Amino acid sequence: MKTIYAEMKITKTFIYALFIGLVAFSIGCRDVTDKLGGVEPENVDTLVITMIAKSSANPVFMSAKIGAMRKAEDISEKYSLLDVLINWKTPEYENASEQAEIIRNAVKEGTDAIIVSCSDKDSLTKAINYAVDNGVPVMTFDSDAPDSKRFAFYGPDDKEMGKKVLNELAGLIGDKGKIAILGGNQTANNLQERVEGVRIAVADYPNIEIVGTYYHPETESDAIDVMKKVQETYPDLKGWAMVGGWPMFGEKLKDIIEPGKIKIVGVDALPVQLKYIEKNYVQVLLGQPTFRWGEISVEKVIDKLYLKKKVDEIIRLNTIPVSIENLGGWSRQLRAWGYQDIPEKYLVL
Amino acid sequence: MSGKEIHKTAAGDRISKGQKFAYGLGSIVNNLLGGAIGYMSIVLNVGLGMNPALVGTLQAIPRFTDALTDPVMGYISDNTRSKFGRRKPFIFVGAIFVGLVFALMWQLPDGYSEMFYFWFFLLGSIIFYLFYTMFATPWVALGYELTSDYHERTRLMGVMNFMGQFAWISLPWFYSIMENDALFSDSVEGARTLAIVIGVFVAVVGVMPAIFCKERFVAQDKKEKVKSKLLEGIKRNVVAFLKGLVITIKRVEFLKLCAGTFFLFNGIMLVGAFSSYITIFYVSGGDTDLGAKYMGLFGTITTISTLAAITVVTWISSKIGKRKTFIIATSITLVGSLLKWFCYDPMAPWKVLIPAPFIAVGMGALFTLMGSMIADVCDLDELETGERREGMFGSIYWWMVKLGMALAFGLSGFLLEGTGYAVELGGAQSSSTFFWMRFLDVSIPAAASLIAIFSVASFKITEEKAYEIRSELEKRRGVKITPETEAQS
Repeated sequence: MKTIYAEMKITKTFIYALFIGLVAFSIGCRDVTDKLGGVEPENVDTLVITMIAKSSANPVFMSAKIGAMRKAEDISEKYSLLDVLINWKTPEYENASEQAEIIRNAVKEGTDAIIVSCSDKDSLTKAINYAVDNGVPVMTFDSDAPDSKRFAFYGPDDKEMGKKVLNELAGLIGDKGKIAILGGNQTANNLQERVEGVRIAVADYPNIEIVGTYYHPETESDAIDVMKKVQETYPDLKGWAMVGGWPMFGEKLKDIIEPGKIKIVGVDALPVQLKYIEKNYVQVLLGQPTFRWGEISVEKVIDKLYLKKKVDEIIRLNTIPVSIENLGGWSRQLRAWGYQDIPEKYLVL
Repeated sequence: MSGKEIHKTAAGDRISKGQKFAYGLGSIVNNLLGGAIGYMSIVLNVGLGMNPALVGTLQAIPRFTDALTDPVMGYISDNTRSKFGRRKPFIFVGAIFVGLVFALMWQLPDGYSEMFYFWFFLLGSIIFYLFYTMFATPWVALGYELTSDYHERTRLMGVMNFMGQFAWISLPWFYSIMENDALFSDSVEGARTLAIVIGVFVAVVGVMPAIFCKERFVAQDKKEKVKSKLLEGIKRNVVAFLKGLVITIKRVEFLKLCAGTFFLFNGIMLVGAFSSYITIFYVSGGDTDLGAKYMGLFGTITTISTLAAITVVTWISSKIGKRKTFIIATSITLVGSLLKWFCYDPMAPWKVLIPAPFIAVGMGALFTLMGSMIADVCDLDELETGERREGMFGSIYWWMVKLGMALAFGLSGFLLEGTGYAVELGGAQSSSTFFWMRFLDVSIPAAASLIAIFSVASFKITEEKAYEIRSELEKRRGVKITPETEAQS
C-alpha cells in the first residue's frame, strides 16, 4: 500500500516536473517552435542590401555573391526579427558608368545599403556620395573609392601583398639572385602599390637584385611576350615576382618556362591557375578569399545598421599562400566558395 | 553453481520503476549541471567580451578544487549518521542550493570591468561546485547501493544513463536560446533568464531521488562513541579519510575500471575537436554551413544510437555478463574509430555519418556498465574491509572522469597545433596537416579503446563471483538487505 502510494506521488511529481520543463522549453524555444509551425514573428524588419560587383561574368565575383547570400541567410536565421535580402545588381562586364547608374537607381528604389567593388574610383565617388547624402550607407570591397563617403572598405593591403610576394620568392631562391617584377597595367593604383611593396621588401635581401619592373596590357599573351623577352635578356634570371596572375590564364606559360628552373610567385589562385602549381611551373600563389568579399561586407553592414556597432573604416583581407603542399585544401576551399571548374584530382589531395 | 549459470533477479532485489525513474531524474540534473556552465560560458566571451583565456581559466580551476572536495564529500556521506540516511539529506539540500547558486551566478550586472566579471564568476563557480559536489557525490553513491543484485544494478544504471542523455540533448540548444532576439535583448540577458529556469528545474527535479529512493545502509558505528575535543575529532577524521582514500585507490579491480573509463572516454573526448575541424575544413572544404550540418546530423545519430545502445547493452549484459558486454561494445567503438579513416571523403561528405552509431555503442555501454561494476567492487571492498564506501569510490571515479576531460580539452589544443594547423588558412591547410589530423583522430580513440579493453578484460568480479560475495556479506550481516528492506545497519 505504502509502495503504491509512493508510486502515485512519483507520477504526480513527474507530471509537475514535466509541466515546468515544457513551459520552460516552450518559452526558451518559442522562436524555434514558431518556425517549425510556419508562424513568422511579427514586426520583422527587412533589410535590402544592393550588391554591385565589377562583372557577373567573372567567377571571382560570383563567389563573392555566394558569400553575401550565405551571410544574409545566417543572419536572418540568427535574428528572428530581421530578414536580410541581397539584391544582386552587377553589370555583365566591367563598366563603371553602369555601376554608377545602378547605385542611383538603387537609392531611388529604396535600398537600405549598398556594397560595391569599384571598376573606376573616380566615376563612382560621385555616385557613392549621392547615395550616402540620401541616407544610404555604402561599403566598398575588393576595389575602393577612398575619397568617397563610403563608411568602410574590405580588401587587401596591396603594399603588404607585394612584400609577401617578395618574401615568398626570396625563400624559394635562397635569398640571392636576379629577379624581375611582372607589373601588369602601369596606371592601376593597386598594382603600383604591390610593386612598391616588392621593392620595399627587397631591401632586406642584399643578395637579391631586381633587374626591372615590366608592365604590359593585362592579357595572357602580352604577359607571356614580356616574360619571354626578359628571360632572353637575363638568362641567369632566378625568379619572377608577379603582382598579378596574367601569364597563368591560358596554356602558353608552359612554352617558355621549364618547371622549377625559374621560381615564380604570383597573385590570385583561381582554378585556371592551379595546374601551374601542380606541375611546378609556379611555386606559390597568393590566393584571395573572394567569398569573404561578400560575407564580410554583409556582416559589416549589419553591424553598422542593425546592431549599431562601430565598424573600422579599413578592414584588411589576408591573402593565403597556395603551394603544392596545400593545393588540395585550397581546391576544396574554392569549391566551398562556389567555384565549379576544379579538377577532382585536386579535391582528393 | 555452474560458472555459466545466469542468475535471475529475485523479486525482492528488484528496484521499483518509480525508484529507478526518480534516480534517473538525478542523472538529468547531474548532467545538466555538469554541462550547462560549459555551454553557457560562451556568453562571458561573446556577450561580455571576456578574454577566452580567462574563460578557460574559469573552467579549469574547479577541476582542482574538485580533487579535494569530491573525496571529502564521499567520506562525509559514507560516514554520516542521520535518521534520513547518509545520502538523501545531502542530495536534498545540495539540489536546492546548487539550483539557487546556479541561478544567482549568472545574474551578471552590466557595465563592469573584465576582471570584475572574472572574480564574480570565479567566486560563483567555486560555491556552485561545492553544492554540486554536495548533490552529485551522494547521488552517485546512492546508485551503487540501491540493490545488491548483479543484474539489477545494470538495469538501474541503464535507466540512469538513458535518462541522463536527455540533458545532453538539451544542452546544445542553450546558445540559440540565449541569443534569441525575440526573447532577450542580448545573450547576457538570455543567460540570466535561462539560468533561473535551469536553477528552478534543478531544485525541483534534483530533490526527487532524495524523496523517493530508499537507502539500504547506514554508517556503521566502528567503535564506541568517544566524547572528544573538536581538534581531536578533526584529526581522527582526517586520518580515517586518508586511510580510506589509500585503500580505495589501491583497490586493483577499481583501478581497472578507472583505467577503462579514462582511456575510452578521454580518448574520444581528446579528438572531439579534431573531428569538428576535419568535418568543416577537410570534408566540407571550409564551408562552415555544410560542416555544421554534418556535425549536427552526426550528433543526432550519436544520440539516437547511444539511447539504443544503452537499452541493448543492458539486456545483453544480463545474458553474458558485464565484462564481456563491455569488451564487445568497446570493440565496436574501436571499429567505428578505424572506419573514420575511410569515411573522411571530400567527394562524399555524407560518409562522415557512418562511424557515428559504431562509436556511440561504446559510449552508451561505458557509463551503464561501469556504474554497475563499481557497485560490485563496493561489495568486494566491504567483504575485505567491513566498510561500505560507495561515496569514496564514486567520488574518485567521477573526479578521474572530470580531470580526464579537462586534460583532454587542454591537450587537444596542443595536438591540433602539432599538426601544423593554422587558423588563418581556413580550409587551405596543407596536406600533411590534414593527414596528421586524420591520423590522430583515428589512432587515438582506437588505441584508447584497445587499452580500455585490456584494462577491463582481467576484471575479476564475474557474475558468479559477485553472487558469492553477496552471499558472504549477507551471512556476515546476518540479514538479507533488499530494496524493500528499511534502512538498517
